[in-house]
Amino acid sequence: MKTPRYLATASVVTLALSLSACGSKGDAGGDAGAAAGVLNLGASVSLTGKLAREGTLTQEGYQLCQDKVNAKGGVKVGDKTLKLDIKYQDDTSKPDTAAQLVDQFNDQGIKLILGSYGSANTEAQAAVIERNNQVMVDSSGADNNIFAKGYKRTFGVLSPATEYAASIVKAIAELATPKPTSVVVLSADDGFSKRAADGAVKAAKDLGFTVLETQYFPNGATDVSSALNKIKGSNPQVIIGSVHLAEGVAIVKQSKELGIKPQGFGETVAPPTPDFVTTLGADANGVLGSSQWTKSASGKDDYFGTAMQYEADIQAKFKHEAGYHNAEASAACLAFVLAIQKAGSTEADKVRDALAALDAPSFFAQLKFDATGQNSTKPMSVIQIQNGKMVTVWPKDSAEGKLIWPGLAS
Amino acid sequence: MSGFFQATIYGLLQGGLLALVAVGFSLVWGVMNVVNLSHGAFVVLGAYLGWQLHSSLGLDPFLGMILVAAVLFCLGYAVQRLLINLVVNGPIFITLLLTFGLELLLVQGMNIVFTANYQSITTSYAGNAVIVGDIQLPLGRLLAFALAVVITVALVRVMSRTRVGMSIMATGMDRGAARLMGIRARHVYAVTFGLATALAGMAGTMVGVVDTFNPAAAGRFTLLSFVIAVLGGLGNMYGALVGGMLMGLVQAWGGYFLPGTWVNALAFLLLVVVLIFRPSGLVGKAFYSARLEV
Repeated sequence: MKTPRYLATASVVTLALSLSACGSKGDAGGDAGAAAGVLNLGASVSLTGKLAREGTLTQEGYQLCQDKVNAKGGVKVGDKTLKLDIKYQDDTSKPDTAAQLVDQFNDQGIKLILGSYGSANTEAQAAVIERNNQVMVDSSGADNNIFAKGYKRTFGVLSPATEYAASIVKAIAELATPKPTSVVVLSADDGFSKRAADGAVKAAKDLGFTVLETQYFPNGATDVSSALNKIKGSNPQVIIGSVHLAEGVAIVKQSKELGIKPQGFGETVAPPTPDFVTTLGADANGVLGSSQWTKSASGKDDYFGTAMQYEADIQAKFKHEAGYHNAEASAACLAFVLAIQKAGSTEADKVRDALAALDAPSFFAQLKFDATGQNSTKPMSVIQIQNGKMVTVWPKDSAEGKLIWPGLAS
Repeated sequence: MSGFFQATIYGLLQGGLLALVAVGFSLVWGVMNVVNLSHGAFVVLGAYLGWQLHSSLGLDPFLGMILVAAVLFCLGYAVQRLLINLVVNGPIFITLLLTFGLELLLVQGMNIVFTANYQSITTSYAGNAVIVGDIQLPLGRLLAFALAVVITVALVRVMSRTRVGMSIMATGMDRGAARLMGIRARHVYAVTFGLATALAGMAGTMVGVVDTFNPAAAGRFTLLSFVIAVLGGLGNMYGALVGGMLMGLVQAWGGYFLPGTWVNALAFLLLVVVLIFRPSGLVGKAFYSARLEV
């Protein structure tokens, strides 16, 4: 049967309309921007797809940075002052798209790039950055693997993946009374989560815990019951989840459904994300989480002030509590601004050298990179959900409250 | 051994939820020969509507899902009459394109209206469990499973005992002959699509009760529905239920005995094996995949 032409046209038009709704491919100024008194940074962010929530928080962090820098007049480059203008593109949470967008920025003459959300996207981008002689400050790709490839043009403001779950284990060992004796790690199977799980296992063994076999499940799974059924008979006293939000929520929900009652849960990325409390309600109480930043962090800078001031600014602009996804994005943008000012140039090679030599305090942490590009001296914080709020409980010197243990909501 | 029984029970319950998600997809494919790639988006839309009714009006999701079903029936009816009907006689490639485009529009629309935040319909009872010996039966999943069985049985009775149902079945079997008997195929198709979206909405509300969701989950629900519909087979209302329960069991057993990262590979291996030995699915009717449209 022959299809009338209008039928095919209707379909194609609908598809085209839909695709156009997916993401805007706006143009950016590049060198022309600098000539016009504007400093362009390129940012591929995950505004749609499975990382859209975290990607949106990242964009908020970049946006606040732009506002703060421009409120102070802009970025001083030699004898000029340039207005900061971040060009956004939606990478739809896909690493290959994130990498292509870096290429696209390069074609537009934009050499200075702010990282996308997550290790997979960032790792894909880092290879392109190196090839194009661009420079990237990575706000949220923590996988140690990104920095083990000898790249010279990617700098991460955050602590490496191996510290995420390990910091929770250290906090429990130091603060929990009675001290639990057995730990099991449940992990998603993406690179970041596996690296974080390895870090937790090593820390737990070093601290004398009995460590059960790590159980893995697919990244993004909303059903982790198989892993929970496997560990149920062993009655582990602590369950550590090396996970993102969806898997983290599933661990707490399904443990309750299956009658698994450890003394406490600790999870890497999930608990500091605002959605963790809204989706779990009272069941979120007592869960520990690791955070790159909390509002009790020490340190200050000329643009954002202290961590408490940063929290107030995010509240005022975006009407929610500041999360570490916001803060690490703002810190990445700040590192670029400080390096460009120090270099007195927007030329990629000079900015790269200035980043490599950067050693500056900030509301986030000291911004200082080792030879691989990692901010390896930056400490992690451990938070606990108490009465629906995030409370920093470790390290002790920046704690806002005491660890409640056993941590399981009753 | 209790671990194995627990995994089996949980897998069956999870399978019931999957069946509920897939039953509408299977119905539309079986009757209209349309592979509806926007099905997952309707599931997520149902979850959002159920969540909105719960959070704004305090309506229990098991009551709210009736309203959700009514709203999505109307939406599905309109979408079929005004949009899909334009291409329903075309080759499957065209309907795939159209429903794929519709899926993108719906997902982007939900991103704009509801944001990408994860949501869940939090009730006081869904996370609790009924304990039988050493086995825990999670209440929310138990209710979703019961609902899947009730809906499937109800669908069978509607299809075999009501005029609307028999019109749907007749149109699915032979559209030309059905037209000659005075059945208005366009209306029947629209009712079928409306029924499917209503069922997707109910499934979405259930998903919201036991899981988390955001707009990005739409693609996963469509893929699951596709696999379950093929596993169970077309032309039999029990197909989705059988396919869903088998999928749930295979995932539970696979995850229990093998490394947990193998579960997705196992699900697709199962699909390949079933298609080798029963190309029309476990309980499907062979003529459905070979019928000619006139």
